[in-house]
This record gives sequence, C-alpha cells and structure tokens, in this order.
Amino acid sequence: MPELEVRNLTKRYGGTVAVDDLSFSVDAGRVTGFLGPNGAGKTTTMRALLGLLRPTRGEALVEGQPPAAMERPLHTIGAALEATAFHPGRSGRNHLRSLAAAAKIPTSRVDEVLEMVELTGAAGRRVKGYSLGMRQRLALAAALLGDPHILILDEPANGLDPQGMRWLRDLLKAQAAEGRTVLVSSHVLSEVAQTADELILIRKGKLVAQTTLAEFTAGGRAAMRVRAADPEKLATALAERSGTVGRDEDGALLVEGLSGEQVGELALERGIALYELAPQRSSLEARFLEVMGEDAEETAP
Amino acid sequence: MNLVHSEWIKLLTTRTTLVMIGVGLLCEGLFAGLLTGLASFEDIGEVTELITGLGLLMTLMLVLGVLIITTEFRHGTTGSTFLVTPKRWPVMLAKLGAALLIGVLAGLLFVLVNGGLALPIYSGRGGTLPPTDEIVKVYAGVIASFALLAAFGLGIGAIIRNQVGAIIAAIAVFFVVSGLPELLPGTIGEYFPAQTVGTLHGRVEGDGTLTQVGAGLILAAWSFALVAIGTALTVVRDLSE
Repeated sequence: MPELEVRNLTKRYGGTVAVDDLSFSVDAGRVTGFLGPNGAGKTTTMRALLGLLRPTRGEALVEGQPPAAMERPLHTIGAALEATAFHPGRSGRNHLRSLAAAAKIPTSRVDEVLEMVELTGAAGRRVKGYSLGMRQRLALAAALLGDPHILILDEPANGLDPQGMRWLRDLLKAQAAEGRTVLVSSHVLSEVAQTADELILIRKGKLVAQTTLAEFTAGGRAAMRVRAADPEKLATALAERSGTVGRDEDGALLVEGLSGEQVGELALERGIALYELAPQRSSLEARFLEVMGEDAEETAP
Repeated sequence: MNLVHSEWIKLLTTRTTLVMIGVGLLCEGLFAGLLTGLASFEDIGEVTELITGLGLLMTLMLVLGVLIITTEFRHGTTGSTFLVTPKRWPVMLAKLGAALLIGVLAGLLFVLVNGGLALPIYSGRGGTLPPTDEIVKVYAGVIASFALLAAFGLGIGAIIRNQVGAIIAAIAVFFVVSGLPELLPGTIGEYFPAQTVGTLHGRVEGDGTLTQVGAGLILAAWSFALVAIGTALTVVRDLSE
C-alpha cells in the first residue's frame, strides 16, 4: 500500500478546475519531487492529501485512508505549506508549544525540533521579526514535531540561503534514508535535481508523468554529438540513412534517429575520420521545458 | 483537555488578550473608583447598576471571542491547527472551552477590581449597600455574561471568518439590533441577546417575565447555537489559504 495516494482527484472552484482527474502514488524511503508550473494544482493536491480541502471527485489517501481518519495525525504526517502562516505576535517556540499541546507531545520535543532546524536562539522572539528563511525553518520544525513518517512540504526552499538549501537537502535525504515518505513541491528545478529520487509532474491539474529522476532526464530526445573531418559529407550520408541532422553551437553535428554504432559504421564506410562521437542527454530543465511546453517557461529558472 | 490547553496557550501567548483585558480592567477600575468617589448618590443611582460596570470589558470579551477564531483565518494558522486535529469539530469545542474560561477569568478580575473599589468607597461615603446575596447574584450574572459573550463572539467569528466583518457584526447584534425589541409586541424582546444580558445583570427588561437564570439560559442558547452553526460550517469548508 502506498503511503500517499491520489485517485482520480478532481477539485473545482466554481467554473475553474484546479485539479483534473489526477492519480498518483508516493512510496516510502524516497524523496518525491512534485513539479509543475505555477497554477498547475500542486498546492491544491497537497491540501487535499492533508484533509484541508474536500475533493469534488475522487479521493486523496494517507496510508490507504482519508486524512480525517488518521488516529495520530501529527505522528503520521507532517506538513509545511506556507512560510507565512504564523501569528506574527507569537514566538516561534509558543507556536510549536500550542501544536505540541494539541497532539500531547512533550515540550522537550519542541526544544528538540528547534535545535534540529537551528532556530533555538531565535525561538523566544516573535515571528514578525523572522526572515523568510527562519519562517521556513519554523514551518519545518512544526512538520517534524510529531516525528512523522510522512512529510509534505510545499516549496520549502523558498527564502533559504545557499547554506540553508544545502541543509534542507541533507535533511530531506536523511529523512528518506530513514524510510520516511517525503513529498516536496518546488519550482527550483536544480534543487529538485539534487534532492528527488522520483518525480511527479503535473500541468493544468493533470498528471504529465510519474517517473524516476534518471528515467525522466534520459527520456528526453537523445542525440549524438559528432565532430568529423568532413562534416558536410557525413551530414549528407546520415540524411540518406534517415538520420535527422542539426548543428550544435560550435558547428558539431547533432544527429537524432541513429545510434552511435550506426553513425560510426557509416563514417568508416565513407572514409570520414571522426573526432568526437558522444551521446547527448537532456538536462532536467531542458526536459521539463520539453514536457511542460510554454506553461513551464516562467517556472524553470 | 489537551486541545483546550492548546487554545489556552494561543490565547495567552499574544499581547492582544492581555492588552484587551488590561485596558478593560483599567477603564472599569477608573469608572468604579471615580464615579463612586466623586458623583452624588443621586447620580450613581442603583448600586446594583454601578457594580455591573461600564460594559467595556464585557464588549471586549465579545470581540475577544471573535478573535479566537478569526485570528487563525487571518494568519493562515488554521492549516496547522486542523492538521493536528483533522476532524475539526473538537478544535471548535476546545475554542468554546477557552472562550468560556477566558470570560470567567476576566469576569473574576472585574469583580475583584469593581468590588474592591466601588463597594468600599460607596459604603465609606455613608451609602447603604444592598444585601450581600443580591450583590453576589449580580456579580455572578456579570461573570456569566462575560463568558457567554466570548462564546457568542466565537460563533459569529466562525460563521463570518473575516475579522473586521465579524467584529462589526458581533457589535451590531448587541448595540444596533438591541433596539429592535422595543418595536416588537409582547415579551419577545426579552429573548434578544442584549436584553438577556440586562436581565443577567439584574435589570428588569421588557415585561420582566424572564428570571436571571432563565436569561442566562437564553443567552447560552444564542451563543451555543451560533457556535454550533460556525462549527458545522468550519467542518465542511475548504481551507484554501
């Protein structure tokens, strides 16, 4: 049974469809990146998984059950949705104390998670004096409070400095290595590439792909980069064999539709010396743009 | 009890609650001390009216009740609150408990301030105090009204959610709609919230058919009905922010 599962989830707001017949599942022991352009329905989906929204159709399940059926919610699932969702006049420590009291978690655990997110020194200060990065850390502390085996984090890297992003990356990987389920949305694709083992991509509320990071980037248009003594002659020969030939920025040939072996054998047959024959793979960003189309332009920095 | 404890922490860890009670007590103290010490007995009128105070702290309890829930909507903390308790209605029950508790606490502090100033000054000036049981009865009504008005505000806040809108609505119910009963026939007017508060405080409202306990029960019915409607809406509403 998957730890998190979305089955034919549809959420409408009046005439607007935020999530449209979306289905996917998330397993334990890995970091799953949840990617999509702004307005793709990521936050709506996460809120449905947390029981904060009622699906118009379909269901969102945690360990096979609706979120409202969780016996010990904070011990099952921890979430950080918005770094701004705090009372500005309450201290970070008191925010966590109120949550801990509701879940019957001892105050000593509050101090533990504050230590984990490196916020102990600022814990007594009112949240309105926190930077965005500190608020992100406080949101993470709240998510970790019940030592849950599932984490749902919406754009947790927002506002973090490079050191903070590295800290977050290590934290998420460590959580997954301990067998926990980590679902993390982000628009910082390079960050996802360094953290996620698996990807779920949505666009306009629909599933585009659920795949591993390696499969996703490998699934892009594979081309062979070729430098030869006589590139024009080789290009003509490749075209005769139904290869699609383009040019790289430095004038090298980019050949699609033929394997490396086929290109090498053809060059030998025609007596053309090869200086370079290398497979080219799409980067995550290029692949993301390829899959998402123009919707992704603003999302892929 | 753990949820009430959580709500109690929320209430006491922002300055709003303490400032509202502090300012309310200060004004009520000044009113009780200055009026009793300086005004003529004729101007003071009935002692039982004097000891119900200005009505400011009572109004602030109504507003505080609104804030107990609308602050969560305003700052988006409902997400974390309902993640801990996804069924939601127990949270609303805990908020009701916290509202009643803070109302009782503020009521007791009011009695300390008002009783500690007005009664000794009045008798020190040679005034005759009503029988103790009558004073106790009025103060009990005041404490009950503080608690029930905080609950009333909570109900309005849960229904309306917008903080400013809910505060305006709650105050309007008491200070605008309270004039309506005079236009109505019979004893219907006595059952309006503001009129039940008057009866709870020992005043005779309308034809005076309601007893103090009866008025308390009617005000409780208003408050709990509003909280019940607010809870039902909170349970089914989406939390998109």
